[in-house]
Amino acid sequence: MKGNLFTLKSIALGWLLLVAAVTVLALRQGPAFDSSILSLLPKSDQQPLVQGAIEQMSKDFSGRLILVLSGSNDQKLRAAVELMARKLALLPDVSKVYWQVEGSEVTGLREELYPYRFSVIDTGIRNLLLAGEYQQISDRALVRLYGPLSTGGNSIIEDPFGLYFELNVNRSSELNIQISNSLLRLINTELPSYLLILTLKGDPFSSELQHRVLGAIAAQHSLMPATVKTIGMSGMLLHAAAGARQAKSEISTIGFGSLAGIVIAMLLVFRRFKPLLLLLFPVVVGCIFASAMVLLIFPRVHLVTFAFGAGLVGVSIDYALHFLCERRVSAADQVLHKILPGLLLGLFSSVIAYAAQALTPFPGLRQMATFSVLGLCASWLTVVLWFPLVTRSDTEQALGFADKLDSLRGKFPKLATNPGLLLLLLIILGLAMVSIWNSSSQDDIRLLQTSPASLLAQEQDLHRALGMSSSSRFLLISANTLEASLQKEEQLVTELESLQAEGVIGGFQALSSTLPSLERQSENFGLVEKLYSNQLAFLYRLIQVPQSGLSHALSIREKANELRLTPKIWYQLAASKERNNHIVQQTGLSAVTVIRLTGELSSLAKRKLSALSSTMPGVVFVDQVQNISDLMGKYRVQVVTWIILAYLFVLIALVMRYKRQVWRIVMPPLLASVITLAILVQLEQGINLFHMMALILVLGIGLDMGIFLMETDEAPHTWLAVSLSTFTSLLAFGLLALSDTPVLHHFGLTVAMGLTLVWLFAPLMRRH
Amino acid sequence: MRRYIFGVLVLIFPITANAEITFSQLTQISTAPEMLEGRFSQEKYLSALDATLKSTGVFTYQRGKSIHWEILDPIQNELVISPVAITSKQADGELLRLDTGVNPTVMVLGEIFFSVLTAEWEVLADYFELSGEIEGQQWHAVLVPIDQSVMQVFSRIELKGGILLREIILFENGGDRTTIHLDKQR
Repeated sequence: MKGNLFTLKSIALGWLLLVAAVTVLALRQGPAFDSSILSLLPKSDQQPLVQGAIEQMSKDFSGRLILVLSGSNDQKLRAAVELMARKLALLPDVSKVYWQVEGSEVTGLREELYPYRFSVIDTGIRNLLLAGEYQQISDRALVRLYGPLSTGGNSIIEDPFGLYFELNVNRSSELNIQISNSLLRLINTELPSYLLILTLKGDPFSSELQHRVLGAIAAQHSLMPATVKTIGMSGMLLHAAAGARQAKSEISTIGFGSLAGIVIAMLLVFRRFKPLLLLLFPVVVGCIFASAMVLLIFPRVHLVTFAFGAGLVGVSIDYALHFLCERRVSAADQVLHKILPGLLLGLFSSVIAYAAQALTPFPGLRQMATFSVLGLCASWLTVVLWFPLVTRSDTEQALGFADKLDSLRGKFPKLATNPGLLLLLLIILGLAMVSIWNSSSQDDIRLLQTSPASLLAQEQDLHRALGMSSSSRFLLISANTLEASLQKEEQLVTELESLQAEGVIGGFQALSSTLPSLERQSENFGLVEKLYSNQLAFLYRLIQVPQSGLSHALSIREKANELRLTPKIWYQLAASKERNNHIVQQTGLSAVTVIRLTGELSSLAKRKLSALSSTMPGVVFVDQVQNISDLMGKYRVQVVTWIILAYLFVLIALVMRYKRQVWRIVMPPLLASVITLAILVQLEQGINLFHMMALILVLGIGLDMGIFLMETDEAPHTWLAVSLSTFTSLLAFGLLALSDTPVLHHFGLTVAMGLTLVWLFAPLMRRH
Repeated sequence: MRRYIFGVLVLIFPITANAEITFSQLTQISTAPEMLEGRFSQEKYLSALDATLKSTGVFTYQRGKSIHWEILDPIQNELVISPVAITSKQADGELLRLDTGVNPTVMVLGEIFFSVLTAEWEVLADYFELSGEIEGQQWHAVLVPIDQSVMQVFSRIELKGGILLREIILFENGGDRTTIHLDKQR
């Protein structure tokens, strides 16, 4: 007997040593986390180019903070803008504040392309030239000469048709801003509004950085005159700060609430602290072991894995409670012997359900499955190996609560002897099925958003006012060389222009509009040559330019014959600063550029854009919003399919052990799941992935409940154990329904409803 | 309706740095009726050719709404400047249209021309520094741009008038100069 105990002790100790060793190994390797939603995509779908482009575009968003000040008194506002910029520039977290443009830079932007005026020309002029409307171009030049509006210093000899004026006047900026007295003023706003762009030095998720930057802005704002009214802001920093604020408040309310509830319940039932600690012990060991293992198995672990994985490992609280409650009525060396079959079956059913997710092609689900299976097994082992040892000296003493709960259970009608109840349940089931059948699913990306709606709306308004392009929807163009890529863009731009003219798309920003391909530049040069030979003599005769002027003008154009705006030259120009982020990749072998889209995209626009891109090799219409929604839909379908398959398998195993009694185990979780789904369909806009994830938990706890009850022949202390387990899970996860974060809310609501229903249905199916 | 006819001022006033003139004084003297029409003659001096191009025509404006600038000689063209767009019409239709909304440069040019013609001094104060002289009801204002984008186009603008604006001289950076006389306004 003593030797036996020693062996048990060494095995238990050995197990903890193994957990410790794995943890040390994982820590030594260093954690590699991943929060990119893209890495949840199946490998085959995940194009590295698309990912690179998206990462580049979102880097812009996460590393900067956009600030707009507006007010009725322009003078005071300008002073406020300057003061704000100077104050923010002093912060250690801000590497640059872009708020004014120096005169030299404006001149640079205005003058630098002048030498290339014969080959880099305005699109409108190009279209007129292509159509042979030379007369119109010289008419425009005449209006400028005889009209009051200035042409801005362009010479009648160097540029008689004002080609450079036309290019400059139509050159659009990436944002709806103009330089007004060297400040960046928004166009088309009711009140004067100015833009400031902060480039952050540190991580926008750092709470100290958030505190310093947002604090400085708020402090500065309070010093401003009353006329400076609204501050529009946009940037990852705001979302991170809002998320942190929300998490903090929810942890202190929901988190504290559920913890207090669990502690009070356990103290009420057991009247001791020890069971409470014992309850947490296996869950903690399970989570540590699982975290360490996934870190060792997978190169990068997604944060979602930890969130949901830890939730699913929570099922293991069942095993601990089942043991503790049984221990109160059985001798120390008897407990395990009595409940081991039940524990094994419980573990088996949950492991099968979780493991099924590992068979899906989705990396996210695989990681989650690995995490929860390993965590669950580790928790189970901890219960089985350690609980007999640590509860060895505990006294056997029936829990008073068990009897109370048992008599409550006795008041429930029994389904087996109550045909009316059976009929009612069948009707409810039928209605639920109809409700589910008619439902639609919800795979909207908004589910993943964690920021308050007011912030999102505010930011959207700002983006619209600024005319910012979308960082999640764009056209990706790849070719062997930048020249080839630009040529492809130019083909595409023609199509986009007609889509824009039809009003299908709002607008677009292409690199080729500022840096035309060399092929296009040569073509333009040829077109301008035709314009000169066709119209110049005529124009000069009208305004009486002497013959020497004509030959001078002609020779200036001819001398520019070899002059082209090459990418190398362009990179040196001020103009490239704004658009060089259109080049996603440029190596000796390939060049990838993006065409950005502005304005809202209708479904028609999306269809047309994907149709357009499918006709051109090397062009992809990336709609990241749609991709993520599709992804969540696929995940949802996969989860459902594999849960059904897994439970069919579990059902077979259960039938083998419990024969015809199996319905008493299966019906409560099954009915609860169906009815929960039906209610969710009515309450929320549709079923989403997170509802399904929560149902796995409901099914797991529900099946454990049925198995444990069956194994102990529905003993009162087992009913207490499973009730407690339901109650603690309700507190731990169900309270998340109160969260403002959509993901947590959906998960929590499902668990809350599902577990309550399971607990209510279980007594109906009892035997005695 | 009263009719004002003003003689052409030939004399160019010397500009002194501490000249006593403010935008509010100009607001008091000059008026901009709701509607006005008249004739204009324009001389554009092109420095590259050392030559002057002359044109004449008529104009009308509705305060805050639009300016119709119709060139009659030597070409025929109607320019319509409104807060939202600048359009140029010829006998055979619209020659060009520039929307101020999408085009900051056009917006500034349009806004300045609008303000000059309708004597909206408070708008001009955003873009220019003022100097000049007032003698009784006659004034001569010199506007030097303080705004970068205006500086790109004009080196200075000179305006002369009494109750109504009479002469505009736009000095461009390249050395070109546009002189506009407004005449027979009613």
